[in-house]
Amino acid sequence: MKVKLNIDETWEASFSTKLEQDGPWSAWDLYKLAYEIEDQTLISEFEGLQSPKHLADLTPLPHQLEVAKQVVETMNGKAILADEVGLGKTIEAGLILKEYMIRGLVKKVLILVPASLVSQWAMELNQKFYIPAVPQRKSYVWDQCDIVVSSIDTAKRSPHREIVLEQEYDLIIIDEAHKLKNNKTKNYEFVQSLKKKFCLLLTATPIQNRIEEIFNLVSLLKPGHLGNKDYFEELFSAKKRSLQNDEHLKELVNKVMIRNRRHDTGIEWTKRIVQTIPVEFSPKERELYDAITSFKGNGLHPSSAFSILTLQREACSSREAVYMTLKNMLERQEDQNSALTEHMITPLMELLQQVPQNAKAEKVLELVQKIDDKVIIFTEYRATQLYLQWYLKQHGITSVPFRGGFKRGKKDWMKQLFENHAQVFIATEAGGEGINLQFCHHIINYDLPWNPMRLEQRIGRVHRLGQKHDVHIYNLAIQHTVEEHILKLLYEKINLFERVVGELDDILTKLDLKNIEEHIQDILFHSRSEGEIKIKMENLTSIIQYEDSEEDQHAAN
Amino acid sequence: MQQTDIHQFLKRYFLANNCSIVTETPSYLTVQLTIELDKELMNRPFYWHYIEKTGGEATPASLTFITDPAFEDDSVQGERIHFGSPRLHQIFASTQKLGGFIHLYEQVASAQPTNQPLHPWLALNIKVSYKCDRKKDELLSLGINLINGQIIESFHELIINQNLSSKISDYCFTLSPFIKPKSAIARLTSYVTDYVKAQPTEWAEKAQERWYEDLALLDHFYETAEELPDIYMTEKTALQELYEPTILFKFINGGLFYISPETMSRQFNKTQAG
Repeated sequence: MKVKLNIDETWEASFSTKLEQDGPWSAWDLYKLAYEIEDQTLISEFEGLQSPKHLADLTPLPHQLEVAKQVVETMNGKAILADEVGLGKTIEAGLILKEYMIRGLVKKVLILVPASLVSQWAMELNQKFYIPAVPQRKSYVWDQCDIVVSSIDTAKRSPHREIVLEQEYDLIIIDEAHKLKNNKTKNYEFVQSLKKKFCLLLTATPIQNRIEEIFNLVSLLKPGHLGNKDYFEELFSAKKRSLQNDEHLKELVNKVMIRNRRHDTGIEWTKRIVQTIPVEFSPKERELYDAITSFKGNGLHPSSAFSILTLQREACSSREAVYMTLKNMLERQEDQNSALTEHMITPLMELLQQVPQNAKAEKVLELVQKIDDKVIIFTEYRATQLYLQWYLKQHGITSVPFRGGFKRGKKDWMKQLFENHAQVFIATEAGGEGINLQFCHHIINYDLPWNPMRLEQRIGRVHRLGQKHDVHIYNLAIQHTVEEHILKLLYEKINLFERVVGELDDILTKLDLKNIEEHIQDILFHSRSEGEIKIKMENLTSIIQYEDSEEDQHAAN
Repeated sequence: MQQTDIHQFLKRYFLANNCSIVTETPSYLTVQLTIELDKELMNRPFYWHYIEKTGGEATPASLTFITDPAFEDDSVQGERIHFGSPRLHQIFASTQKLGGFIHLYEQVASAQPTNQPLHPWLALNIKVSYKCDRKKDELLSLGINLINGQIIESFHELIINQNLSSKISDYCFTLSPFIKPKSAIARLTSYVTDYVKAQPTEWAEKAQERWYEDLALLDHFYETAEELPDIYMTEKTALQELYEPTILFKFINGGLFYISPETMSRQFNKTQAG
């Protein structure tokens, strides 16, 4: 076969100049050294990894090396790296990037990561991999630096977008790539329009809810690998699912995705010690909660079904959280004297004002004092976050807040403050992703998200490689509320907290529980009695448990 | 490359660049840079600009390299150097730059003052890279006699131990080349081209298969689209850039050697026998 030939003529040009000018010529020993270096650094095989030899300060784990090798040798450098949280996907990506750089296959690199991780990525690449990665802070960085780390939000915005799209990247790395599951978003469209040669997508949760999401992800990496949209929908849509199709899909997906589980890495993990702490409402809090519950199903406002569930959850968190939602509801009313305002919002506001304390916060204070060590508190609500910060401060406990909306520098700063100065780190959901806090080993779930995968990500911030201590997880649940249902009837039944990370998304996918969050809401809202909730939740958990045992058998065979 | 090799390499590099070795132990090495090498390695153009403008006294830096990873002594401040460290690779690159072009004469120790002819040879060390989405390299060293066009492989090995100098010895003279350097380079290039053509091409065929496979998938992906979007062409180009098998020639270094025919045939026979 005829192979394209490319001859670098720069040497010849300089040589003829030197001939004309009779020099200057190199020293004989330097000439010999130059040859020796070339001879000794030459890579004479297509196969094998060079990068580990270059990394004196890093000892990659066997599964990380295996991933790097597989991506380079059998996946053509286009892969979804989907190890479970905490197994070191960043290390894997770094090894692959380094390998391509050493071999001279990659020069220009774009690394897109959540804003909170930009500095961390740049630092790790520089320190562990000696890769001169630069965080994007000024717009000249795009064309003047070879290896740039940025957030998608910055990169996709004008004027950056236009400059970025003009660059010829050899490798694009996208962290937390599950955020690109929806092909209708601006982020998806932006990543799609980038020219991708080598491409790595990193995610711990490749399939959170829908099977289509994996289609969207794979289509970014290798369009057509899972067919086109029509074909995929026809073949794998819920109606026509069959085991045969599934096996086929799995096989196809495995060609572009590598997923390591904690239990097959053979690494000793520290234990997770889970403790559920029941909390009793104070009488006034109970009154408020019951009042909210009483609006259920009275048909006052058809679209408020979801709002009532939200208010119930918020009441389990803080009166501040409830207040914010009520305030928003009020502002949305065109007629300030509507029935809704009169019969629901105003009375609830009044009840709210009578709530003197927060039983849960008191419990948290007690717990934090007892732990007497660094603690991360997760809450779903920003209002609760602010309240907790204030409340802890009243009792002489320093804390730092953390949320998705913070600018990058502020996030780094908060993490540092926590590491060096504050005892408590209070994060809302958006803060749950990507940031590594393994110097801490106590997590308080102040309230619980309704998507089990999000809980896993919370725990994964702390229970990851490098964690030296057993990790303590404290779950607070107010008795006889929706919260207790979620915890007792769902999370505890399916052993969520003790479970090794990652089994769950498999199971959920297999079950085609398209959106477990909606499913749970549906159960909690439409059930007419506690008994009905219990039965329906039991149904749900037994399906999950059944699938789980199937999985075990499968593994045993 | 072992740590001891690195130590020796650094020492040779700095000595070849006329720097002095201030301290040397098996674990570390302190060198005093010359002005030239300070400019080459220290990346401080503003300092040098300032010194030259103001006529201030230049103080080139001195550097300490710790080459033994186990070495612990806080009183020695230095850079830890290992394979993969940016400083070492900077020095590698500098060596390639400074060691690129050669022009040497064989030193002939002649007992009787007879006129001794030296033949001009053009040497080229060429890195051949076989590249697709993967890559491997091969280093070839060739020399061509500019009088008769004879091409010798492994030329570098042949001359590496010769006594060579930048000045011609007494009683020696050089023969004028019949072949011009430009055409000599062309002949060597074509020699290498013939060589690579004779190599197995399985790697290239496999790469092309991967390329066409992805291309077919891409076509399938957009098969139902009424109009092909711009991204289709972008993806298509990306696939070509990623997979297309290409062979690259890069001239590492080379130049002119003037060698007596006797030495050449003696060396040549030696390597043939070995």
